[in-house]
Formats: sequence, structure tokens, C-alpha cells
Amino acid sequence: MTPALELKGLRKSFGKAEIIRGIDLSIGKAERHAVIGPNGAGKSTLFNLITARFPPTEGTVKLHGQDLTGMQPFQINRLGLSRSFQITNIFPKMTVFENVRCALLWSQGYKYSFWHMVNRKRDLTEGAEAILEQINLTERRNLPAGVLSYAEQRALEIGITIAGGADVVMLDEPTAGMSNSETDYITDLILKVTEGKTLIMVEHDMGVVFGLADRISVLVYGEIIATGKPEDVRADPRVQEAYLGAALEAEH
Amino acid sequence: MDLILVNLIDGLVTGLLLFMLSAGLTLIFSMMGVLNFAHASFYMLGAYFAYQISLALGFWMGLLIAPLIVGVMGAGVERYGLRRVHQYGHVPELIFTFGLALLIEELVQFIWGKNQMAYSVPDVLNFTAFAISGNSIPAYKIFMIFISIAIFIGLLYVLTKTRVGMIIQAALSYPRTVEALGHNVPLIFMGVFGVGTALAGVAGVIAGPVLGTFPGMAFVLGSIVFVTIVIGGLGSLWGALVASLLIGWITTFAKSYNIAMSDILNGIGIVTPTDLEDNIFRDLWTVTSPQIADILPYILMVLILIFRPYGLFGKRAA
Amino acid sequence: MSQIEQAKNEPKGARPKEQITTDPSDAAQRMRAGSMIIPVTPWVIAAVLLVLMPFIFTDNSAITIMNQMSITIIFALAYNMLLGQGGMLSFGHAVYAGVGGFFCMHVMNWSDFFAGLPLPLLPLFGGLAGMSLALVVGSFSTRSAGTVFAMISLGIGELIAACSVIIVAFFGGEEGVSGNRTYAQPFFGVEFLQQIDVYYLIAFWLILSALLMYLFSRTPVGRMANAVRDNPERAEFLGYSARWVRYYSFVASGFFAGIAGGLFAINYEILTEENLNTASSGVILLVTFLGGVGFFFGPIIGAIAFTLLQTVLSLQTELWAFYAGVLFVATVMFFPGGLAGLLMMHVPVFRLGKARLLIIPYLKTLLPAAIGLLGLAGLVELVFHYRHAATGDNEMTVFWTTFDSHNILPWVVLIAIAGIGLGIAKKTAPSLLEAWNEATTPDGGTR
Repeated sequence: MTPALELKGLRKSFGKAEIIRGIDLSIGKAERHAVIGPNGAGKSTLFNLITARFPPTEGTVKLHGQDLTGMQPFQINRLGLSRSFQITNIFPKMTVFENVRCALLWSQGYKYSFWHMVNRKRDLTEGAEAILEQINLTERRNLPAGVLSYAEQRALEIGITIAGGADVVMLDEPTAGMSNSETDYITDLILKVTEGKTLIMVEHDMGVVFGLADRISVLVYGEIIATGKPEDVRADPRVQEAYLGAALEAEH
Repeated sequence: MDLILVNLIDGLVTGLLLFMLSAGLTLIFSMMGVLNFAHASFYMLGAYFAYQISLALGFWMGLLIAPLIVGVMGAGVERYGLRRVHQYGHVPELIFTFGLALLIEELVQFIWGKNQMAYSVPDVLNFTAFAISGNSIPAYKIFMIFISIAIFIGLLYVLTKTRVGMIIQAALSYPRTVEALGHNVPLIFMGVFGVGTALAGVAGVIAGPVLGTFPGMAFVLGSIVFVTIVIGGLGSLWGALVASLLIGWITTFAKSYNIAMSDILNGIGIVTPTDLEDNIFRDLWTVTSPQIADILPYILMVLILIFRPYGLFGKRAA
Repeated sequence: MSQIEQAKNEPKGARPKEQITTDPSDAAQRMRAGSMIIPVTPWVIAAVLLVLMPFIFTDNSAITIMNQMSITIIFALAYNMLLGQGGMLSFGHAVYAGVGGFFCMHVMNWSDFFAGLPLPLLPLFGGLAGMSLALVVGSFSTRSAGTVFAMISLGIGELIAACSVIIVAFFGGEEGVSGNRTYAQPFFGVEFLQQIDVYYLIAFWLILSALLMYLFSRTPVGRMANAVRDNPERAEFLGYSARWVRYYSFVASGFFAGIAGGLFAINYEILTEENLNTASSGVILLVTFLGGVGFFFGPIIGAIAFTLLQTVLSLQTELWAFYAGVLFVATVMFFPGGLAGLLMMHVPVFRLGKARLLIIPYLKTLLPAAIGLLGLAGLVELVFHYRHAATGDNEMTVFWTTFDSHNILPWVVLIAIAGIGLGIAKKTAPSLLEAWNEATTPDGGTR
């Protein structure tokens, strides 16, 4: 069976600094995979490489066996990969409802249509309402997204990310900067909406990671030093040493 | 050969003049990310102020005082206009400077009327410096070249060798960091804007007597200056220099050598149609280089933007 | 002035940076986004008004103004497809209208074909010509929005305007191209000899194009144009190429600009370089921004206000372009939402049923302010006359009063009017602010 996402020999340098130094990783279908690591390990860079925000210096990324080299973000999205951003990235001036509806347009086959009226389309309205229901924002439907609370905006972003029905979902620090109760709320939400999908997430909060992930990869200085089930990774002395060591180092 | 030399000098004058405008414009752009549409209007104000001052105090005082007034006005525009509009985003900023350009033109017409001013070359410089096989080179042109080069060297010195220059260069790339280091970035912005517009003012003072001091002078030069910094690469000072000289020489040579399109087309083996009068391409066949000299920069810009969207020396895709 | 505006903004809290697209908490914005129904009533009212207008304003000069207004409305709406909806600032949009118009002139002069073509169909050719040009230019100019797009639009605009004296075959050189609309095939017996016939032709196209442009904004590509304007990166991760979305908006805008150009050709029967140059492009930017780019109807208000201002002021004073410039810069600085933004600010007030609270404070502040500004304008006129009038010609007329501009009295009077008017306005501004706060706060609600 082809893995949902496969990275081979991925490298990225900015000038002389090599941030990602050869990553091989294979993530199976319907797997929830978390990438953890200390600050500056290159997690976000890795995300941006996979989603073609930056071109890799070397190596390939394959989605369902298809090479993504040279593709634009929108093309990758159409192949079924969707992502959220570390910094909330929504359409702040549109209403919550419309944010979600925009996310549905392509996947529902409307493409660059200028002959359909979006608000006459039952499938769009119902689809968007179903997503709003899932992310518990039905009440906020007609508010401009920019006035939502931070946690609500993050929830909305997750909603936008999954709305297109992509089967590979990438979340970049979905709970960053949240209180405990907000974190629990978002964690439950992620569990609910990624049912049956491949999830790849970067996360700092260990509670979230161990509660969500089927497998975990530990990224330190641009290399993956361990991949495996949460309990195995946790038990791995190498990981403990390297990760905690690096984490301590990073804190000093 | 001699004609080439004359053209080289003429093109240099035009190019350096363009550079005095484009240098300030590009500095302002790379620092604040705003393309000052009214930049050439400050050039016009320089010419008008210098004219007014020269009536009372003579040309040299005009050269000294007018750019200062223009610079102060520029700083005022930044402080009380642009900074306010900045919060609305880039597009309103651009619209604001566009509106300002319109307003300054109207203002100039309001004060000085629609006619060309009798602002002329000072008597001291009104002689022939030398002649190249019958083509006399006026001393004033040499003077313009010297002034421009002196300003360029001064600018380079300030930017690369002084502390202020270092701060400005740093603020160009990392305004937030520089602000965090305790420098007053808004003040630097205002200063750069003032100096940039003052440079445009200098250009106006010395160009006014030769190119004419009239209300349309800003728009005549304005769009060419934009073209220049787009070709050179937005935000690149060297790009601005190269593009200015390039445009100066291209337009000068195109005007001076009468090359007909029909000759070129014949040269590459296309025969002139016999029924030229009725041919839909008749205008293409009869085009000559002096006719299109003024639009060559635009053509160049479009080509550059298609094939190298960030310009000749541009580093980032703006 | 600025104080008042700040005061008006204040109740809604700090406004987001991207003010240009107006305040999202405005009710109309929500309405535009969410509801299932496309409101029909405004369209019916507009259509009825357009039909009735010539019966109210019967003389020919009024109809001429209305024709000009309608054409400007179409052009401004087309322009706002770029600026307001797509976030693309064009400094050379006149060329799309111009090329559309020139093409229509050539169709008019192509007598064999034109004799078989009913005149009302002619603008379609203009639209297609404008669209064709946009198809070509857009292919490289829409790669990015922002400054680069603006610069390319300026360059292309200048290039084509300059070409008009070189490519004489199409642009007719200095004298332009003229034609005669009455050579078309009569349309149900109408030969469009009279201004009024042309009025209804233009009115028909106005309603049709405005409706189409409105509907365009509700289609998937129209909605994504807004999304790309606000956040191109996010839009890309929703499967849409920002570039193509911009391209489609650009082409559609070129089409409707071309329609406006075609109507211009029908109305004036001549096109010249003036229809292409940067000044025309600047005017349409001014009109659109003045009206307000954040709302669909903004450009309509802008076109009406600007045309009226232009015709009324240009009859009264030589300085009308100066006033227009001042107005424009003031709009950008203090009312970036334009007239439409100012109007829509009042929707919550009406919703709360507190509009009457504002009437008196408005009168107290805005009336003196207006009088003061008129006094200021009078001073400007006085200075202008003093400086530029021929020697000996000391007599001038301001506000239907004739006096000697070299006499001290009118100066004193005008300075007094300006000073007192603006002084009162400044003094009453705080109470206006207070009234505004009161009017925008729901009863019993604490803010």
C-alpha cells in the first residue's frame, strides 16, 4: 500500500545554514502523526517544504505516491493535502460562514465558475453549515471572522483546513498560545474532524501529542532521531537525552 | 564617432538627472515600502521655488534654498499625511501619493498659472564649454553632470561610511529590529523621505532652466522615473543608477539617429508591401526611432517585467 | 475635521489595517456575505428611477449630464471589480474603455456591417475589444497584486496612450476617430437621432452591466477574488491559484470597461487620445475611491457625485480641479471608506432607532463647517483672482456677489466667515462626538 505521505532525503538550506538535513519519513493512510522537537529544530520549515511554501534543496515529497516537486500550493491542495498555519490564517473580513464556504468551493467542483450563484447553492450552504456545526461555530455564523476570539479563530482555521475534504491534513501548532481548557477543546475538535483522515501535526504541547498521535517523530536539528508509537518514543533513552538535552540547551 | 560622443554626453545628462529622482524614490520605497507617486511633483516644486527665489536672490541661492524647502515639505507630507494613511495599508498609500501628485500640480497652476516660467540658465554658466566637430556642449550641461555626480558620491558616502547611513541601511531591511535597538524609526523614515524629496528638488532646480518650468513637468518625468526604478529593480540603488543611465542613453540615441522601421524590416528580409497606403500595418512600416523614443522606456519596462519581474538588480519579488 | 472622523470611528474600536475594504462589522457587509436571497428591490427602484429621470429633468443639458453619469457609473463599477473586490490598483484602466470605444468607432465606420447592426448591440463589441486587451495584458500583469501590478498598469497605460499618435490607423492620431451612430440599422424604428433615445440605450446597458457585475461578485470566482485580496496564501491552500483568480477578475473588468467605452462612442461619436491617457485613468480612480471601494454601490455614488461636482463646479470656477484634488486627498486621509462608507456607518444608528439624536448635533457642527469651508473657498478664489486676473480687471464674482478683489472689505468678510464657521464647528464637534457615541450604543448596554 502506498503511504499517504512519503519524504525521501529531504534537505533544505538557507544560504549556508542547513535547516533540514536529510529526512526520510513515511506516513500511512489514516495515521495520526505528530512531529515534535525543540524550538528551532526545523518543524515549521519541514511543514513548509511539504506544502511547497519553499522549494526543497534536495529530496522529494510524495503524496499518495505522486511526486510534488515543482508544484504550486494550489495544485498540491487539489491532490488532497490541506494545511493550517502557525499564525492564524483566515479571511478576517469575511463572515465565519463565508470563510468555510470559500474552503468548499474548489472541492465541490465550482472551480473558476462565474455562472453559479454561491448563495443559491444548497450543497454549499449545507456543507458549510455542517462544518460550522462540527467546529461549534454555528452561533458565530454571521460574524466577521476577524472579531472571533483566538481559540475560535483557531477552530475556524481547522474548519477551513478540513472543509475541502482533503484526506491528508497538516496542522501547524494548532494549540499554540492557548489556555488549558482551550487546548482540550481544540484537541477534541481535532480528534473529531480528522476521523479516518491522515493527520500530520507539529505540536509543542506534549499532552496534546500523546493524546492524539498514533505515531510520533522526533525532529532535532533538522534530523529525525526517532519515529514510533508514543510509548516507545517516550521510553527511548536516546530521545529523552537528545530531546531534553536540546530542549534544555534551547532554553539557556 | 563625434556624434556618438555628443550623444553620450547628452544621454549622461538625462540619465543622471533621472538618477537624482530615482535614487530618492527607491530609497523611500525600500525603506517604507511605498512608491511615492508624487516624487516628481517635488521635483517640479524644486524648479518653481528656485525660479521664485532666483528672481530675488539669484540662481545660486535658489539652488541652495529651494531643495531645503522641498525637503521640509516632503518631511511634512510624510509626517502628517503618509503616516496617517499608512495604517490603512499599501494601496491607500499609493492612492494618497497619486492624489498628492494631482493636488501639487493644481497648486502650482494656482500659484504660478499655466504658462512656462522664464527660469533660465544663469549667465555665469551660459557659454559653450567646448565643441565636438561643430556640436557645441554648453557649460551648463557639464555643471549638471558635476552636480549629479557630487550628489551621488555624497549619498554613497553617507549611506556606507557614516553611522546614520548604517542605521538607515539596517532600517531598510529590518525596521523592527532597528526600532527594538532604540532608534527612532519614524524619525528616520521622515528624514529619508525629506532627503529623498530634497534630492528631487535639486534635480528640479538644475533641470528647470533646460527642460522648462511648467505645470506638466512633473507628469512628463514622473512616469519615466517609475519606469526607471521598476527596470532597475524596486529598492536597488545600483539598479536605479544603471536603469537611469540606460534610459538616458537609449532615448537620446533613438532621438538622434533616425532609424526607420522599414529599414529594419527590409534588413531582416521582409519586403515593403506595395500597397502601403491601405495596409493595416502601414503605421508600423512608417515608424521611425525618434517617434518612439519616448515610449521606449515603457516597452523596456514591460519586457523586463515579463521576463524578469523583479527588475535588473531587484533581489526580492515585491 | 479629522477629530470628528476619529470620533466617529472610535465607537467601533480600533479599526483593522485594511480599512480600505471597510468595516466588517457593518451590517451591510454581513448581509452581502451571508443571506440566500439576492435583493431585488433596489434593482427595481433603480430601473424605475432610470426610466423616470428624463421626465423629471427634461432639458437636453440634463440628459447630457445623465448620459455621462451613467457611462461613468459603468466604468467605475468595472474599475471597482479590480480595486475594491480584487485589491488590484490600476493606474491605466482608461485604456480598456478607450480601446473598446475606438473599436466601436471603427465598427460604426464599417458601413456595410454597421448598416445591418442594431445600435444597442454595439457596446458589446466594445466589451469584447476591452476584454481582448485585458486577456493579453492580464496574462502577465496579474502575476502579482500590489505595487508591481500598479506599475505595470501605469506602464501599459502610458504605452498605449503614447501609441495613439503613432498607430494612426487605429487611434486616428491627434484628431481621433469619429463616426455617426445613426447609420446603424434602425432598432424598432428608432434611429437614435435624439439625446433621449441614446439615454435609454445607455440606461439599459447601465442596468444590465451593473446587474451582471453584481452577480459576478456572488459567483465562486467573484467570492474568491475577495479571498485572494485579503489573503492570497490561504486562498492558494484552498485549491485556488491567486493568479488565475486575479486574471479572471481582470478580464471581466476589462469587458465592462469596454462596454463603457462603447457607450462613450455612441454618446459622443468621437474618441481621442484623451480617452486613453493617465488623466482619464486617474479620474476613474478618484471617482471610485470617492464613492467608496468597500461596497458594491460605492462607485455608483462616486460617479453621480463626481459628475455633478464636475458640471456644477466647472461652470462656477476655473479652480474646480483644484477642489477635486483637495477633496480626493482629504477622502484618502480621513474617509478611506468613501461616501458609501460614511453612509453605511449610519446603518447601526438607524437599526437602533436613534437617528434623530444625531440631527441637531449634525446641524450644529456640519452647517457651520460647510459655511466655513465655503468662506475658505471664497478666499481661495479671491487669492487666485488677485494673482492672475488681468491688470485693471479688479472685479470678480463669488457666490453671486460682485466686488473689487483689490478692496480690503471682501477679504475681511471672507476671513470672518471662514474663521467663525470653522470655529463654531470645532467648538461643537465634542458634542457631536458625544451624540454619536450615544446613538451607536444600544439602550441599557454598557460599552
